[in-house]
Amino acid sequence: MRVAATSSISALICVLAVLPATNAASAAEPTKLTIFAAGTLAVPFREVDALFEKKYQGVKVQPQFGGSVKMAKQITELHQDADLLAVADYSVIPKYMFAQPAHAAWYVGFARNAITFVYTDKSKGAKDINGKNWYTVLAQKGVEIGRSNPDTDPSGYQTVQMLNLANTFYNDAKIEDAVLANAPLSNVRDTETSLISALQLGQLDYLAIYRSDALQHHLKFIEMPNKIDLSDPAQSAYYQQGVAHTKNGDLKGKPIVYAITMVTGSKNADMAEKYVAFLLGPEGQAVMKKNGFGEFKPAYAVNSNAMPASLQTLVEPWPGQ
Amino acid sequence: MANRAQHGWWRSAAPSHPTTVFLLLWLLGSLLLAFVLIPLLVLAGTPSLSGLIDAARMPDVRDSILLSLEAACLSAILTALFGVPLAYVLARTRFVGRGIISAIVDLPLAVPHTVAGIALLMVFGRQGILGEPLQALAGLKFWGTLAGVVVAMMFVSAPYTVNAARVGFEGVDLQLEKIARTLGLGPWRTFWKITLPLARRGIFTGMMLTFARSISEFGAVVILVYYPKTAPVEIYELFLRVNLQQAVAAAVLLLAVSLGLFVLLRFVAHNPDLRESR
Amino acid sequence: MTNIAIEGLSLSLGTFALDNVEVALDGGQILVVLGPNGSGKSVLLETIAGFHRPDAGRILIRGIDVTRLPPERRRVAFVVQNFGLFPHLTVEQNVRLALGPHAKDKRSGVLSPLAGDAAALLSYFGVSHLAARTPGRLSPGEKQRVALARALAANPDLFLFDEPFSALDSQTREQLRDDLLSLLRRICLPAIFVTHDHTDALTLADRVLVLRHGKTVQVGTADDVYRRPSDAFVARFSGVENILTGRTGAAQGNRLPVAVGDIVLQAVKPSSPPGAEVQVCIRAEEVRLHDARSAQDSEWRENRFTASVANIRRMGAVVRVELEGPCRLACCLLTPQLQEMRLERGSSVEVSIAAEALHLIPA
Repeated sequence: MRVAATSSISALICVLAVLPATNAASAAEPTKLTIFAAGTLAVPFREVDALFEKKYQGVKVQPQFGGSVKMAKQITELHQDADLLAVADYSVIPKYMFAQPAHAAWYVGFARNAITFVYTDKSKGAKDINGKNWYTVLAQKGVEIGRSNPDTDPSGYQTVQMLNLANTFYNDAKIEDAVLANAPLSNVRDTETSLISALQLGQLDYLAIYRSDALQHHLKFIEMPNKIDLSDPAQSAYYQQGVAHTKNGDLKGKPIVYAITMVTGSKNADMAEKYVAFLLGPEGQAVMKKNGFGEFKPAYAVNSNAMPASLQTLVEPWPGQ
Repeated sequence: MANRAQHGWWRSAAPSHPTTVFLLLWLLGSLLLAFVLIPLLVLAGTPSLSGLIDAARMPDVRDSILLSLEAACLSAILTALFGVPLAYVLARTRFVGRGIISAIVDLPLAVPHTVAGIALLMVFGRQGILGEPLQALAGLKFWGTLAGVVVAMMFVSAPYTVNAARVGFEGVDLQLEKIARTLGLGPWRTFWKITLPLARRGIFTGMMLTFARSISEFGAVVILVYYPKTAPVEIYELFLRVNLQQAVAAAVLLLAVSLGLFVLLRFVAHNPDLRESR
Repeated sequence: MTNIAIEGLSLSLGTFALDNVEVALDGGQILVVLGPNGSGKSVLLETIAGFHRPDAGRILIRGIDVTRLPPERRRVAFVVQNFGLFPHLTVEQNVRLALGPHAKDKRSGVLSPLAGDAAALLSYFGVSHLAARTPGRLSPGEKQRVALARALAANPDLFLFDEPFSALDSQTREQLRDDLLSLLRRICLPAIFVTHDHTDALTLADRVLVLRHGKTVQVGTADDVYRRPSDAFVARFSGVENILTGRTGAAQGNRLPVAVGDIVLQAVKPSSPPGAEVQVCIRAEEVRLHDARSAQDSEWRENRFTASVANIRRMGAVVRVELEGPCRLACCLLTPQLQEMRLERGSSVEVSIAAEALHLIPA
């Protein structure tokens, strides 16, 4: 009697022990790839993710979007797990992720953007504004201009750098102040959501934002001279003349280059590597171009020798970094 | 008062319940208390004293806390001004749409904060149906102003005042109001001298909740107003701009000020001689 | 001259209704409105006070038609269960609150020195020493006095009482009732007192109105209702213990025989036609028991018969004895009487009932 009981109990235990293993084998849990990315990458990255998942079966991409600095700090200060970080200003990665203890060792640029002003039909001066007279229209009394917070957001300080460059470009030292007078602190916001909503509701006439956003949200925008809109890496030296005074110090203008890196200690390094390659490859680049981002070719990288071997072949060392 | 049993230092208002039942209730309650208290204690324990003093020294932090307090105060007062009459009507009258009105009052609690902010911007913005005339007639702006902060706070925290005040009014014996009328007090004097004082506790609780909820609001406020910065916005910016430590230090400062204020207000308002008629 | 008149008051309010209620009161009379729960007595009072608008009828106070006036203009005082003192105010504040524009109007008699003077009012009712207390710390008797002082401060023309004693124990009730009666007599203002307790009617009433489902069933003095109920409902309500069915016979002189159970009793009510079915009402205390051995002639009443004791129920000073015999009767004795007669279950006893004690109601 007792022997029968113990043997049936042990049989039950064996079955229960094996069950999870068999379950795992048959269920084939998808690999979750977590990406923290700048808000302006939301639309293109969702497309990239969909294509990536189609190419690599068994992968589920889970992106989270927010301000570039906020997403970096979620990794460095809040210790959230992420496999990749993509930012709107490449300097965010070395500034926050390279500091000890390092959360990243390298980064590669994968797209460009330009700072511009977007507007709607309702905006004051909408009929007359163009790439030549924009600063006079924007300086008119009663025009409300919105912009992002220069103390926390790249597009915020890039806007100020652009206006500062305009002073030099148009040889008129009053341009920056005149335009900023219509973009006071009360028009500064931290998120794009409120700024774009405010523009669409008529609270703002113009909004300083990236060209990719203009195209994505189907908003009119101004074609600015590329010597001031931070879109051309070839103009890097010129851009340095544009300075933004922020609570983080004086920031010199740099071309707007989006960069991505793999987060150190990620558990899905393999997949993350494939993602970066995909993004730098023809499919990824086509999506970025389609969404209004500029091409960044060749793909410059910093600390390329720290990159996985397969990725090193795709990049070139970043001159001057 | 006569049915309060005294078991030494522990007075139970329900002596009819056996001790085991009461202990179980205490246990469940303590778990919730711990759930609330532990994260707050961990937060409070994180910054060093010097960190707190540094945060208190920063004019931005001080200004943001003062702004939050000022705006929350206005929010509580204005909400009471309009919400208490509504609560009275809901408590005392029966009409066809009463259930719907009650549900509407509760709606702001279910609206995501960002959505609430955008809805308010639609109405109170430069081209909004209320914003435009108010700006033209009274020069009143809600974008980037104290008024905008107050409006966002009021929207998300109004339900608390209305609901608590309503319970307060429902607890006032209708007979007392009738008697006041027969003594020669008109409807208005009856409300002022009898109903309102007896509903004081409920109204006060509601205002406290509105005040507290107003201080903590971020999502709706930040759509309408970033500058001037309320405390939650300042704390958020400290996190982004500097680091977690500074943000937490400012947060603990805000919590300490709020806690002190709540304790003070409750102490001042608590009147042990007040007994509500049943 | 009639001081208070209610004419044809009709109202329907959900489950409660009033149907053509009429009554009049003079000077310092006290009217008790008697009825079971749901009879509409509180609704009647509230309508007089001004909280419901009647569908038909008028309310006249001192000759003025107040039917359309709001409560605060009717000069009517309203006293409720637990006396309705404002708990957040002191006794003095309660009284002062009632000092309105009419407070100093001329009043006659005992009230004139009190008009508009809170201190004098408190003193008159003997509650000056409680001026700074809050109602929560007063005894029921003190509360009643304060409530009256406050009511008087508003200088009313009519007092309304809505079952103020219903939450009190019987001893306190009696004390308060006596207190109230003496105070009302002194003040000499008309009062309407609503209750479901018929002993309140006996003590307080100059006139009684019995209400049932909003309709007036009987109006008269307390004695009328008590001894000459107009129907079985009023009889039961005023505590008549014995209501028996019977049949009248032919009247002989001023005596009318009524066949009840196995016996024929003599009643003094020749107005009932012979051969009619009637309800015979006999109050329990009118059923006299006699000790056959020692009874004096003078004690016997007209209707005599023998019965046996079916049940004895002691209720303090009074004992209720249930009898079986030619008919079932309940009677009540004082406890010493019971002991003297040495009655117990099954004892045989002589019963006599006065002819005047039989009250006949058409069936």
